Amino acid sequence: MHREFDAIVIGAGNGGLVAALTLQKQGKKVLLLEKGRVPGGFATSFIRGRFEFEASLHELCEYGTAENKGEVYELFENLGIAQKIHAKVVPETFAVYALKTNEFYEMPMGEEAFIAKMEEYVPGSKESMQTFFSLCREVKEALKYLNETKGHPETEVLMSKYPRFMVVAPYSLLTVLKKIGMPKKAIQILSTYWTYLGSPASKLSFCHYASMIYSYITKGPVTLENRSHEVSLTLSEEFASLGGVVKYLTGVKEILVENGEVTGVITQDNQKFLTKHIIANISPNEVYGKMIEKENVPVKAKKLVSQRTLGAQGVCVYLGLNKTKEQLGLSKYAYFVYETLDSDVEFKRMHSLYNGNLAATITDNGEDSSILCLTSLLFGNAFSREVTKENYFAIKEQLAEDLITSFEKATHVSLRDAIEEIEIATPVTFARYGGHPEGTIYGYLASGSDNLLPRVMNEEKEVYIKGLRFCGGFSSRLLGYSSTYINGRDEAMKTIGDMKNE
Amino acid sequence: MSEFKIGWNAKMDMLKFKNLGEEREKIIAEGSSKDLETIYKSNTLANLLHPKGIKVKVSKIVKETDNTKSFYLEPMSLNAMPPFMAGEYITVLVKIDNRIYKRPYSISSSPDNLSYYRITIKQEGVVSTYMLKEIAEGDILNILGPFGHFTYSKIRDQKDVLLIAGGSGITPFMSYLQSSYFLKNINSVTLLYGAKNEFELIFKKEIDAIASQNPKVKVAYILSEEKRSDYEYGFIDEEKLRRIGLENKSIFLSGPVPMYFYISETLKKLDIPNKYIRHEIFTETPENLENKQFTLTVKMLDKTITIPCQENETLITSMEKARAKTLVHCTVGICGFCRSKLLSGEVKTDNSHIRMADKEENYIHPCVTYPLSDVVIEVPIK
Ligand SMILES: Cc1cc2nc3c(=O)[nH]c(=O)nc-3n(C[C@H](O)[C@H](O)[C@H](O)COP(=O)(O)OP(=O)(O)OC[C@H]3O[C@@H](n4cnc5c(N)ncnc54)[C@H](O)[C@@H]3O)c2cc1C
Ligand code: FES
Repeated sequence: MHREFDAIVIGAGNGGLVAALTLQKQGKKVLLLEKGRVPGGFATSFIRGRFEFEASLHELCEYGTAENKGEVYELFENLGIAQKIHAKVVPETFAVYALKTNEFYEMPMGEEAFIAKMEEYVPGSKESMQTFFSLCREVKEALKYLNETKGHPETEVLMSKYPRFMVVAPYSLLTVLKKIGMPKKAIQILSTYWTYLGSPASKLSFCHYASMIYSYITKGPVTLENRSHEVSLTLSEEFASLGGVVKYLTGVKEILVENGEVTGVITQDNQKFLTKHIIANISPNEVYGKMIEKENVPVKAKKLVSQRTLGAQGVCVYLGLNKTKEQLGLSKYAYFVYETLDSDVEFKRMHSLYNGNLAATITDNGEDSSILCLTSLLFGNAFSREVTKENYFAIKEQLAEDLITSFEKATHVSLRDAIEEIEIATPVTFARYGGHPEGTIYGYLASGSDNLLPRVMNEEKEVYIKGLRFCGGFSSRLLGYSSTYINGRDEAMKTIGDMKNE
Repeated sequence: MSEFKIGWNAKMDMLKFKNLGEEREKIIAEGSSKDLETIYKSNTLANLLHPKGIKVKVSKIVKETDNTKSFYLEPMSLNAMPPFMAGEYITVLVKIDNRIYKRPYSISSSPDNLSYYRITIKQEGVVSTYMLKEIAEGDILNILGPFGHFTYSKIRDQKDVLLIAGGSGITPFMSYLQSSYFLKNINSVTLLYGAKNEFELIFKKEIDAIASQNPKVKVAYILSEEKRSDYEYGFIDEEKLRRIGLENKSIFLSGPVPMYFYISETLKKLDIPNKYIRHEIFTETPENLENKQFTLTVKMLDKTITIPCQENETLITSMEKARAKTLVHCTVGICGFCRSKLLSGEVKTDNSHIRMADKEENYIHPCVTYPLSDVVIEVPIK
């Protein structure tokens, strides 16, 4: 006898964990299968010496505080885990350096302060910034409405309530900002966070960027004091305590499909579990390319995958420093270092190794030390193109050298003498732990028709196999903690809907 | 008021918005219907560097001293051994009396030569004794790894290096001294190697040969139980360390636990910051534990077992004894591979390498956990 479940979730990343818990809370019998040993996927932490390093989270968007709750906060409340999470609001937005042009800007929190500071840096930007913020609000509201109507909005409602949303929705960040008359410099400064979504201003959807940065500036990004592992663990413990079945070290090898419908899965150790509903927290590349028998893979699914571009690969340098932030002279939490502030120029440069661009975050570690994490993105498979078994260690170290040097050059802070622990993660590391193709950390590149809105609008049409849905960084809401948590819930609710329709 | 628009006019913009989905469908329709690519270079490399397990043949055994042997392990399931950094270890699986034991051993061969790994084992406990007495050339073993962080980093560490070894603690350093990466990136390395007597100095010939060929490498042997004019005598103490000079050096320690504590204390007294001191992983056995008997219940993925355990033995030891499966790499509480949830019971444990959130939820590393009552743990063992 094979065990049967109402739903099976493949992968215990952010999306998978929330999806599994949401289904379980709805009284379904759920099996969560995870190939690794711990929950969280990228949302985890690791210890070296006296430092516990956050593996991936720089800033959690859409969280806010008990007084000013964001969507993720509300989600966690509904899931019954909010009280267990130790979040801390970051008091400022970002500091950004452009090495080639020798520029430096630091931006505050809060809409008014942000606009005022921008006006100080770029006189004449005020009006366009105000327009930008009012557009952000409209976009946010409209996206919420779109989500509520599951991608089937009523045109009249959109027309009357969010007319400007429909106007900006088909365009890129760059196009809209130019059109509303924002000065070039202000556009560049405002686009600083582009690496958080892994796509430059000319490709990235305006709506997507607007909704993220608006949340950062008005609610404040948060960090998690006990690392993102706390959320991952709390979600998985809650799931198990409600009777959900989690199996670690149990990767899925095959998804069983009959007559265009899922019927179950086979694990790497050849256990078979039956179900009619699967939520995959992994990439369509893996699912359609490896996990389903060839004749059962719909042609459309192959076409879809073939037309998509894998998103950024990542390199992370985790440094345990034997000085505090103050001793080092670093007062902010988040620093961005680019060669120039033109995201399109930089996007091109980031198609090769050693480009020096990075996003850094630093926090104190007790009384006498701190943790600095330098993250950089690579596009166009730049890493995999160069690396071999023989040069792997050398490239890894050279990438770290490059990022440390770049950070030192920007901030004029010397790190070398303070490095007590160092760990370097490359696409190989991320491939090992996450299992996604080419160690991609950002799902698919957000660009053109593969931006947020077209993905969301066509989601139902892209359910090519009945009962098979995707959540997480490769799915419709794209990457990022907040997106993947929220998307986990949404996919679970859609699956509940599927069950009702049976 | 002028119309808000991005393109020609707002109407066209809205139309464009409505067509986003159709546009996407068109692009998908133009895609290829060929079978999808399934091989990705970074994933392939990840598997090469971190295979799930390696089957090896013991191709050669060399007696190094009366109680120490080196084992040369050649790959059977792979073309070459995975690349590693000097200082890393492997976990060897040994089956004795139908019990599977897993033990970590530093690789003592050069990272530049991947046709084999060499491990060097001194007779101490059950497994090492078995390895020395029973394993013969031609035998087949399974190993896990390579793992570990006791490695030199040119970014983090100084260019002048002091390696301090006691007894079989020399093994990772043998790999350092044959690593072109290490030798290229340092200005000088001094090896302080302490043993009881001359016969217990493992690899002396090899080390002397390396030192005579490379002016960067200096060696000082120190014998603690044999007084001779051609060797230093005594323990590696403050005076000897001062004489060698510690200023601006990275110090790597590998040897018996008491040596580690003694030297750590001395270095603290000499005001050497943590950053400059690195040590091979080890664990300290807590004192004052008795042989009180308890039961250990292990909830595995698909079954639950109940076995005897005792206060002065780790939970992993009890599981090994009971022929239960274990998840173990380092055996000393560092790597996290044995991470388990303590569901009930009192224990004495070392939680220095447990994540903050895991501590709150009672996660433990059973390889460094001693029971003080009946204990129930949960661990994802098949
Ligand atoms: C270095 C770095 C920095 C980042 N910084 C930020 C940030 O500051 N803010 C932010 O919002 N986002 C950030 N992100 C992005 C964010 O971490 C991810 O978008 C998010 O964690 C992805 O969640 P997911 O649901 O897609 O799951 P993933 O984390 O992708 O997890 C997928 C899970 O599936 C498992 N799995 C894979 N194959 C199988 C199989 N065959 N069978 C069973 N299980 C399988 C994997 O082991 C894994 O646990 C960062 C990412 C990285 C790597
Ligand atoms: S085996 Fe490494 S922590 Fe227990």
